[in-house]
Amino acid sequence: MPVPDRVDPIALEVIRNALLEATEEMAIALRRSAYSTNIKTRADFSCVLFDRNLQAVAQCFSQPTHLGSLAEMVPRAITSYGADHLGPGDAILSNDAHNGGAHLNDISLISPVYSDDELFGYVANVAHHVDVGGGAPASVGAFQEVFQEGVIIPAVKLVEAGEIVQDVFRLVLAQIRSKHETAGDLRAQIAANNTGIRRVNDLVRRVGSETVSFYSDEFIDYTERRTKAEVAKLPHGEFRAEGCIDNDGFTDIPVPLQARIVIDDDGVFFDLEGATEQRRAPVNSTHSQTFSGCAFVLKCLIDTDIPVNAGFYRQVRMNVPEGTILNANAPAAVVGGWETQTRLIDVMFKALAPAMPELMPAGTKAMQCHAGFGGTDPRTGEYYCYLETQAGGFGGREGKDGPDAVQTHGQNTENAPIEETEMNYPLRILRYELIDDSDGAGRNRGGLGLRRDYQFYDHEVRFTVLADRDRFGPHGLFGGQAGRTASYVLKRNGVETALSSKITLDIGPQDVMSYRTCGGGGYGPAEQRDPQLVLRDVREGKVSVQRAREVYKVAVDTDAWTVDEASTTKLRGGGRGV
Amino acid sequence: MAYRLGIDIGGTFTDANLMDEETGEVFTAKVSSTPKDPAAGFSEAAQRILREHGVAPGDVSYVMHATTVATNAIIEGKVARTGFITTDGFRDMLEIARQIRPSLYDLRFEKPRPLVPRHLCFGIPERLGAQGVVLAPLDEDAVRRTGEELRREGVEAVAVCLLHAYANADHERRVGEILRDCDPQAVVSLSSEVAPEFREYARASTTVINACISPVVARYLQRIEDHLRGEGVDAQLLVMQSGGGVFSFAAAREKPVFMVESGPAAGVISATHLGTTLGYDDLISFDMGGTTAKVGLIQDGTPRITKDYEVGATAKSSGGTTRGEGYPIRTPVIDLVEIGAGGGSIAWVDSGGVLRVGPHSAGADPGPVCYGRGGAEPTITDANLVLGRLNPRFFLGGEIGLDEEAARRAIQEHCATPLDLDVTEAAHGIVEIANAAMVNALRLVSIQRGNDPREFVLVAFGGAGPVHACRLAAEMEIPTTVIPTSPGTTSATGLLVTDLKQDYSITRIQRLDQLDHGAVEEAYLKLETQGRETLEQEGMAPAAMTFLRQVDIRYVGQSYELTLSLPDHRLDPEDIAAVLEEFHSEHDRAYGFSAAEEAVEFVAHRLTATGEIGKPSVREWDRGTADPAAAQKESRLVYFAESDGFVHCPIYDRFELGVDCVVRGPAVVEEIDSTTVVHPDFQFEVDRFGNLVVSPVFPK
Repeated sequence: MPVPDRVDPIALEVIRNALLEATEEMAIALRRSAYSTNIKTRADFSCVLFDRNLQAVAQCFSQPTHLGSLAEMVPRAITSYGADHLGPGDAILSNDAHNGGAHLNDISLISPVYSDDELFGYVANVAHHVDVGGGAPASVGAFQEVFQEGVIIPAVKLVEAGEIVQDVFRLVLAQIRSKHETAGDLRAQIAANNTGIRRVNDLVRRVGSETVSFYSDEFIDYTERRTKAEVAKLPHGEFRAEGCIDNDGFTDIPVPLQARIVIDDDGVFFDLEGATEQRRAPVNSTHSQTFSGCAFVLKCLIDTDIPVNAGFYRQVRMNVPEGTILNANAPAAVVGGWETQTRLIDVMFKALAPAMPELMPAGTKAMQCHAGFGGTDPRTGEYYCYLETQAGGFGGREGKDGPDAVQTHGQNTENAPIEETEMNYPLRILRYELIDDSDGAGRNRGGLGLRRDYQFYDHEVRFTVLADRDRFGPHGLFGGQAGRTASYVLKRNGVETALSSKITLDIGPQDVMSYRTCGGGGYGPAEQRDPQLVLRDVREGKVSVQRAREVYKVAVDTDAWTVDEASTTKLRGGGRGV
Repeated sequence: MAYRLGIDIGGTFTDANLMDEETGEVFTAKVSSTPKDPAAGFSEAAQRILREHGVAPGDVSYVMHATTVATNAIIEGKVARTGFITTDGFRDMLEIARQIRPSLYDLRFEKPRPLVPRHLCFGIPERLGAQGVVLAPLDEDAVRRTGEELRREGVEAVAVCLLHAYANADHERRVGEILRDCDPQAVVSLSSEVAPEFREYARASTTVINACISPVVARYLQRIEDHLRGEGVDAQLLVMQSGGGVFSFAAAREKPVFMVESGPAAGVISATHLGTTLGYDDLISFDMGGTTAKVGLIQDGTPRITKDYEVGATAKSSGGTTRGEGYPIRTPVIDLVEIGAGGGSIAWVDSGGVLRVGPHSAGADPGPVCYGRGGAEPTITDANLVLGRLNPRFFLGGEIGLDEEAARRAIQEHCATPLDLDVTEAAHGIVEIANAAMVNALRLVSIQRGNDPREFVLVAFGGAGPVHACRLAAEMEIPTTVIPTSPGTTSATGLLVTDLKQDYSITRIQRLDQLDHGAVEEAYLKLETQGRETLEQEGMAPAAMTFLRQVDIRYVGQSYELTLSLPDHRLDPEDIAAVLEEFHSEHDRAYGFSAAEEAVEFVAHRLTATGEIGKPSVREWDRGTADPAAAQKESRLVYFAESDGFVHCPIYDRFELGVDCVVRGPAVVEEIDSTTVVHPDFQFEVDRFGNLVVSPVFPK
């Protein structure tokens, strides 16, 4: 078929949908055939189609954290391996955090797409594996060097001409605690790429390779045009804010974060010049992680209908100096880089809030909040390993409260059902509930944090907390208050001890490990909150009577379940207030 | 004389169908729906159709009903005041839900509001382990106190979902007894009875929905029953379930969550029945109406079912990965991919200069521009009109005159001018983009799940389905497309040809290499006894009953299961080997790999108890003659890209086309409620039931 000489807007729409559908189908194949809870239930993966020039064309992801990971990882992996060394039916594997990756748990699989012996492009998927070896189960911990974090896989062939390269497969699995799950997950990643290849080839067969390439270029340009058009509507200016993460996991010294965002005729520019030096601690973010964060912020500013591909990525302009906490060099430990990256997003939202008060939330959970553990399952004698992350409060927004107990920013992983967890692993969840009064008070209050308690009733496990927010709660906005801080509590012999937010320790059968996550920040002054909403919160037990009175300045009659108007007026200082 | 009456209440119209059980002849009537009091619309439709055809109420043997009353109650938040009881420490199960945002980049997102407010959610001290072992006994006093409080709060219903109750229902049953003691009036729904499957949030959500719609549904069904009995109808009264199959009003009151998606199921049932009549087991049903298009898959004569469904979530173009927008239910729902491409879907040009169609719809009101009811934005129907595919003077049999000029102007202004196209190109673009979206939906239900669409027969219906079917068949290389008679009512007639059905399940996780065969058999026998009792109560003779055993199966460690059928006897080693083989090959087909060396486990046992309701033979077509020339009413210019533009195209009156008519495209076949467009490289043939069988003509 001849190459089109002009863009047919109809063909563009038809082909772009087919390309998106291909990545969507990859995602379904991956999720359905995966083994680990992390992929199958928590959906911690993404799938992308690249053209032969290594530009991202279409992307399907459930986790925005992966926004930039594949866009950076895939070109670097292909370039370093050599595109010429890849033939039909091959696939390369990589998780090299310091070569385009994020953290070692994210393993990418990249396959060339050949149609009739001609290279059309690549399909790739990245999935968060529950364990990649290293110093603690689930490969999370307060590490100081990347070498402690697990097996480092440079770009290597896992599949050659459709067959798994057993030497590589065995070598990788030998480093890993949860071999059974990981083997299944890797097979699922292969199945996903095969699905993508099939679908792209279907399309190429129908309309011709040149036509698909022509329109995939046009699709990228289209995306850039729309992104630019949206960005042009944003208020111009220079916006700054500061924040920090509580500690680096090795010392107690907070890690300051500052962001400067410039919006002008050239678009949005993320200037992270002020980033501090990288640390011998786990909280270093890689270039690709930081890029994902900036991409996420930009994506939130534009029409959600705009697709993500190279045309969008080109508009993510960022300056981040090397050797810093936001662009760490080898051999920096990076497993806690997500904590830093997600907090950076919160800081950026804070910077933009005065310019976009109707869009920006107050401070949110803005941490990954990992619980990773492993030990020997007394039922089977096998080593098991598990990882999950906890939700927290979202920030209050103009005219709306922050939702309770929800994932924030780049993270949108589901919780694992308790029944399934208890069935598959030797543990019990004792509580899983909202934390009353944890909201950052405000005209629109922050969402509540949650509590999840673990007990390993018949054996000892090695447990890692990799989280944050136990010193500084999510910030309030426009007079709203900060959300309540998180705490990570070990209950042993009846005594509760608050642990560091980044720690690995042994937990015995009688111990209870309790996560209590932070509430979201409030938006606007608390004493301006509609007393009827305060009444509803008190009625539902989310806010106590006392706190309603002291913080929200609302008196609630708990017999009649009404607002005591007279006392409320008095509490709010006479006729002023709402 | 015996008749079967089907009433399908949709958003705009209430359809009544009356079938003569002897001859199979079907009459239809349409009245406007009465959303404020759906039962009133029901009564009017029923009275009208019986009166029009002079049928005595006493001659009706079955009344079959599809209703959106349950979904609407949930979406509009008009559910009964309901309490929720779970294990202590977990009362926020509904609030926390899946802890995710339904949209990734929308900073102003909301989580769905729990159907039970938090102050009516209670945790009770008790605890079971994963195998159903009692770790802590039930605190009956706490249950009693909670029951008293719920009564004081004036709840009409209570949902109970204790952790691991799928494995051991004792605590839940006891909670139920105590609650009924406290308040004999309240409806009590137990998760171990409604949906005894593991994964607590989905089970709790299913149970809560069952409880909170139960009073609403019960009142509604009672009104209908009173009315029908008052009119002298003593027929058996049945309601369509989300998974296909009907159940009695009595059963619907007990488990209303099974009828949440009652409406959309009928179309697929109708297609299935058509397939059975024509001898096709593998079909794709394509139902395109005013606002959406719905695609379903029927394999081996059985519609595909999903158990991963959210009530109240907006239609998605695909099986996407973002959930959390609605309320999950774990009862069987016919698996439909629904996309925002109906006749009323609006075409627009986005800020990047691309022509888009949907998801916004002009619906039935104001409707497409050409209806002349105030619609200003061009729709798919407007585009079809401009292309000559619809007849401006014969839409809905001429009931609405279509304004072609207005449609043309709107397409010119909103699509053609901004894109620098002429109006025909733009109109053709709108139709092709909608077609492409529908092709993706067809792909999603077939190819992606490992099926080859070329082995399926496409059944196209709904007012707009037959307009587009031919192009979809061409894109998908589907060799045979069937357009039933009166496609606009196909969906509603599905109600008349369904069977009584009850679904049961029980979660029992067991590795196949350590299988307790006796326990498996015992589980199925228990479910069968339940099924048989229920069917007996509904008046079914033993000879009409069948029991289908199925099992959810997966590799140890996976969390998505495949559902396979099992033989209906105690499994022997040969059966197990056969099941394993089927599982590996199904897994390979569905997901692209299998792992013969991996251990496999049963997760849940399922039983479908069916009570067959006799189906009259389908009426043979006795209209028209075998000479198509006699059926041609006119010819007009119709646009076909294959012919590079407008061509003179013969227009046929469907009711004058007799059996064995064969016509080569291009051709348009018109009937009151739909239009079939046959493209140049296709032909159609009228089969003995009057269906148009459309197939490609291969060049010699």
